Amino acid sequence: MHTPTIVRMSNVTRVYKQSSFEVRALDDLSLEVQSGEFTALTGPSGSGKTTALNLIGALDVPTSGTVFVDDKDLGQMSQHARSELRKRRIGFVFQAYNLIPVLTVFENAELVLRLQGVPSATRKERVMALLDDVGLSGLHGRRPNEISGGQQQRVAIVRAIASEPAVTLADEPTANLDSTTAEQLLDIMQKLNEERGVTFIFSTHDPRVMARAKRTIHLVDGRAQQASP
Amino acid sequence: MPSSISLARLAWRNIWRNTRRTLLTLAGIVFGVFFAVLTTGLADATYGDMINYAAKMGVGHVSIEHEQFIEAPSLEHTVQIDEALQKATREDARVAHVSRRISGAVLVATADGNQGVSMMAIDPANEGEETLLFLDEISEGALFARAEDRTVTMGSALAQNLGVGLKNKVVVTATSKSGDIVTAMYRVSGLITTGAPSIDRGLIILPLAAAQDLLGYEPDEVTAAAVYLHDHRDADAVTQRLAGLTDAPSVAVDWKQSQPELASFISMKEVSGVIVQALVMVMLAAGIFNTIFVSVMERRHEFGVLRAIGFSPTELFRMVNWESFWIACAGLLASALLVTFPYLKIAESGLDYSKLIEPGMEVSGVAMDPIMSIGIYPVNLLIIIAVVFLGTMTAGLIPAWRASRTEPIEAIHR
Ligand SMILES: Nc1ncnc2c1ncn2[C@@H]1O[C@H](COP(=O)(O)OP(=O)(O)OP(=O)(O)O)[C@@H](O)[C@H]1O
Ligand SMILES: [Mg+2]
Repeated sequence: MHTPTIVRMSNVTRVYKQSSFEVRALDDLSLEVQSGEFTALTGPSGSGKTTALNLIGALDVPTSGTVFVDDKDLGQMSQHARSELRKRRIGFVFQAYNLIPVLTVFENAELVLRLQGVPSATRKERVMALLDDVGLSGLHGRRPNEISGGQQQRVAIVRAIASEPAVTLADEPTANLDSTTAEQLLDIMQKLNEERGVTFIFSTHDPRVMARAKRTIHLVDGRAQQASP
Repeated sequence: MPSSISLARLAWRNIWRNTRRTLLTLAGIVFGVFFAVLTTGLADATYGDMINYAAKMGVGHVSIEHEQFIEAPSLEHTVQIDEALQKATREDARVAHVSRRISGAVLVATADGNQGVSMMAIDPANEGEETLLFLDEISEGALFARAEDRTVTMGSALAQNLGVGLKNKVVVTATSKSGDIVTAMYRVSGLITTGAPSIDRGLIILPLAAAQDLLGYEPDEVTAAAVYLHDHRDADAVTQRLAGLTDAPSVAVDWKQSQPELASFISMKEVSGVIVQALVMVMLAAGIFNTIFVSVMERRHEFGVLRAIGFSPTELFRMVNWESFWIACAGLLASALLVTFPYLKIAESGLDYSKLIEPGMEVSGVAMDPIMSIGIYPVNLLIIIAVVFLGTMTAGLIPAWRASRTEPIEAIHR
């Protein structure tokens, strides 16, 4: 079966210019991610994992090279168009503090759907089902500070995938969690990938998390070292 | 797009994230409103009282008189005020009273001596304490009953100086319109004791028709028609209207022209009051700006997350606008709850500042009352509400702009 390419980076270089020196965070990186993948970006600290995810997520633009998401060249898009792309096609899970503290679990989880103008009944149905799926049934009325860090990350995952984006990006989603909780979060991500076909690209330092990936892209000094299929 | 409702709701919750900070800001607004209402109410009532008091000392809020009368208030400068003009003036709903009068200088003589004094000739049918305050201060006898009577009412100290009492005769000497010296004799019907030396020692009141007789005036000839208004703020408008009803040499002048000293005192006070209020408002706006700005800077990461998941810059801008809006509304509501009662309490009793002024202090002949009354004009209250509301919204504009400029990449920074 043909699986469409969701992300295509070609010869991407990202240079951060500081006043006195330059940092080549990504150096001629090329990679592709297909729909349905469960891919880990690994590599030592400073190897460019976050930089790569920011470029795929249209939060940043490359110094040279091209990034295509959904067959659209991010470098050619206006700021507004990138904003729309993020809203419609990309899910984000950040390392921590993903949630809006004044919104409840449910309101946080439905936020992207609300931004997309999805009617309230549909939002409720979809978000409640997903909250159930990730083991948060009964917590929908709580505020973020009334649930654990692992539960907060699950809410962030629900927010990211509720609108069924083309790809969900997670930069070190388990970094602030203890290992048991991290394992549980990976269980949930894996289940969503297998049962609902959610495409995940996540970065991690943690060997146990890496071990769960179907594919690993290992970065060293902004270059891909090896890619396991 | 989130509907405005959800941005508004998000903003409402946001302002309560730091309850203490928001309450302090609201307290600032309440203080600002209280200060503005109190000082404005004090100014409105005090200046209104002074203007009305001055009007009731003789000239009215507006007066129709000879164009040279202000410069040279002599008995030669007369005008014709006929029944039609009086009627047309009274028809105006803003006008409360119209009183024809003759004012000028005369000599009063008795067997004991003589004295130059101010003379005012009035028609008792058209006068009362609403037009002349001293008519309420008759200490002996009574005011003559009709304009045609041949009796006079005078200051009690003047009577004493001239050695006359009730029913005694005085001789009034004046220069008639044609320049002749004319005299007439009247009996004293009443004495006035006000405490103000200019009246007690220097005023004689004649019946209008008797004075016209003495001075050789025609029946409608007087030196002025004093016009009294329900609200002194209508003086300009009424003056303009009356200007259209009169022909040269008659002119309509308002109290500001006839009492320039009082007018400049009040406008000077008003300007300094507005400056102080503006300073307080600027300080208040700076405080509100600071609150909103700090709260925006604290949320850079959160705004980054919102931008990353699809909020547009405009939506962030509007969200912070909503936050200013709620602060303004909550502040005004708190002010309504907290300021109304103390204001009414103070307005009821007045503000006693007798310790601050010297007894008997006068501003251009208008005595200062040591109990200051307070009563804000509704239009000024609306202006204060509008200024506080718009000031708060304006103070939030730069923070809102700053929020809208948040880059989505901020989401990864903490
Ligand atoms: N905004 C920036 N300005 C300057 N240099 C930056 C910036 N962001 C990243 N870098 C540099 O680019 C390189 C790659 O950083 P990046 O954050 O992508 O690495 P990473 O693999 O995510 O590291 P970590 O595992 O520590 O999160 C590093 O040398 C980093 O110091
Ligand atoms: Mg990183």
